[in-house]
Amino acid sequence: MANIATARIKREFKEVVKSEEVAKCNIKLELKNDSFTELRGEIAGPPDTPYEGGNFILDIQIPATYPFNPPVVKFVTKIWHPNISSVTGAVCLDILKDQWWVTSVFDYICLSFQALLAAPEPDDPQDAVVANQYKESKDEFKNTARHWTYAYAGRPTASAEYDSKVEQLKNMGFDEHKARVALSTKHWIVEQAMEHILS
Amino acid sequence: MNSEDDLFYNDDDSAHEMDDDDDDFVEMGIEPEPTSTNEKTDVEVFLYEVLTTEQIVQHMVDCIKEVNTVVQIPATTTRILLNHFKWDKEKLMDCYYDGDQEKLFLEAHVISPFKKTPNAKKRTTRATSAAVAASVQQEVTCEICYLALPATLMTGLECGHKFCIQCWTEYLTTKIMDEGMGQVGTISCAAHNCDILVDDATVMKLVKDPKVKLKYQHLITNSFVECNRLLRWCPMPDCGHVVKVQFFDSKPVSCNCGHIFCFACGENWHDPVRCMWLKRWIKKCDDDSETSNWIAANTKECPKCHSTIEKDGGCNHMVCKKCRFDFCWVCLGPWEPHGSSWYNCNRYDEDEAKKARDSQEKSRSALQRYLFYCNRYMNHMQSLKFESKLYASIRLKMEEMQQHNMSWIEVQFLKKAVDVLCQCRQTLMYTYVFAFYLRKNNQSIIFEENQKDLENSTEHLSEYLERDITSDMLVDIKQKVQDKYRYCESRRKVLLDHVHEGYERELWDYLDSA
Repeated sequence: MANIATARIKREFKEVVKSEEVAKCNIKLELKNDSFTELRGEIAGPPDTPYEGGNFILDIQIPATYPFNPPVVKFVTKIWHPNISSVTGAVCLDILKDQWWVTSVFDYICLSFQALLAAPEPDDPQDAVVANQYKESKDEFKNTARHWTYAYAGRPTASAEYDSKVEQLKNMGFDEHKARVALSTKHWIVEQAMEHILS
Repeated sequence: MNSEDDLFYNDDDSAHEMDDDDDDFVEMGIEPEPTSTNEKTDVEVFLYEVLTTEQIVQHMVDCIKEVNTVVQIPATTTRILLNHFKWDKEKLMDCYYDGDQEKLFLEAHVISPFKKTPNAKKRTTRATSAAVAASVQQEVTCEICYLALPATLMTGLECGHKFCIQCWTEYLTTKIMDEGMGQVGTISCAAHNCDILVDDATVMKLVKDPKVKLKYQHLITNSFVECNRLLRWCPMPDCGHVVKVQFFDSKPVSCNCGHIFCFACGENWHDPVRCMWLKRWIKKCDDDSETSNWIAANTKECPKCHSTIEKDGGCNHMVCKKCRFDFCWVCLGPWEPHGSSWYNCNRYDEDEAKKARDSQEKSRSALQRYLFYCNRYMNHMQSLKFESKLYASIRLKMEEMQQHNMSWIEVQFLKKAVDVLCQCRQTLMYTYVFAFYLRKNNQSIIFEENQKDLENSTEHLSEYLERDITSDMLVDIKQKVQDKYRYCESRRKVLLDHVHEGYERELWDYLDSA
């Protein structure tokens, strides 16, 4: 039924481009190839969240059975969030699983993603490390997520403290991303992060 | 809509030809051949019936018809309502006549058939009949494929959400084939957040592929059986039969395929142990809680950081690799005093260390207890599997005897002997589950005596059939075998009667901690 999928995506595209919400909330959607099987989405981090100021790229794979089966969506931009894997970018969202409706459209998906960024659900986590941090120390989580938004999603301002710690490990010869993951996991304590990388 | 031709189960004409004779009950017994005269242990009056898939479908249709003789609504709506009430007809009737009907329909996710606007109804029928299509040329956009199509190609449920026929078909096919209609066994309208359920008539009308139709019938039948207390699928793989009883009880039932199982829990017939305990036992054997038991019994925890430590050398001076704590493996106290001249391990029996040792002791003995019962349970299960080999060798023996002037009927005692052996093995197997959860009292000692007697006599019978039978004269065999299996039967009866009596008089105490 690929023809249904193609026809529908073409139409959805037009809708998205025209949509007011798109303009307001900074949602972008573009085709990655001519076969309508891969899309690239872009959402802006919602205001008053650690993701504010960042732009997050989504990779959207359309199954041949679309819209009867949901698209597979993952984050290309690295992000620190309880429901998004900090390693793979995989997302656990009910509207892309058992709560999928054939009439759901892309701007609805993008809006749901923005809602997820604004309201994480740590009790149904995709990334256990992040979820733990979120539950145990909200401030540390916020700071870490903000730092990731700066490092990967183009947020203009940075936390000098975190940045210098990453820099410190980087100067010791560690890979920058690995250093950031280790620091984020180990409460930004440089010694523990080092041990974590080496173990 | 309430024309019966719309119903999916009427597609299959053979369903009508099936005999739905409800009085056709079979009296059960766990013996495949109850030749013995005074064997009545398991033969109680528990009436049941084995149904084929077709008969089950017919049974479902009958249930719907029965309700429809009273409640005048479309049969396909009745099925959704009955499904909502887990096929409890009385409950449906009660709610239908005593309660708020609107609320009932709302909760069952159907639009009340009395609330239909004549307009909506007309449109539904028109959409399906191509004849009137010519007059209506208005174009409507389908919300699924986004194609602008003539209104005649659009269809939907009473909730008013319309989609094109092609999308509906595709939607239903995906729900049926890919998702198996999910956990609840229903399909709701394709519109966002609409929970109105798709009825069978609509599914059958929109789905054209016979494979999908068949799968849908299976799913419907399955949900009918699954949520009906008086029905159970035969648990044998690929056996499509259903056992139907008159009242729910833990009793053995024998399927047409030969499999005998407990109606209440679906496991092999497990007298004397009750379903609840067997379930706990199976869970205990299945999950890896025993791994943690092993860890508890064979390792100790560092008294300081609680890392799990397995000792791999003789020295009792332990140094925890993780926190560098020095301690004594024997008393779990700090090592420091051990090194001095007043070394005496016993002296450092601090409460803490003592507690640690006690709990270690406890889990170790619990593991041993479990292994004791598990070994014996597994052993009888294994033997039971091997008895299938015995059937083959016994058959040869029977043929040999028939060549020596014995009639076919005269040699049947041998098969009967193996039957008895299998029954005894199965009973013994489950006595160990029963015993595992049993708290010791006077009755449990009698039970263990009975268990011992049955085990002894069973082993004698087994040994004779497997080995000694070859060395004996053919004329002697019959008497010996009959003596042995009759004794086994009587021991088995004694044991089961005692346990049953115990259930009735509440003589058994259980270990909840096991």
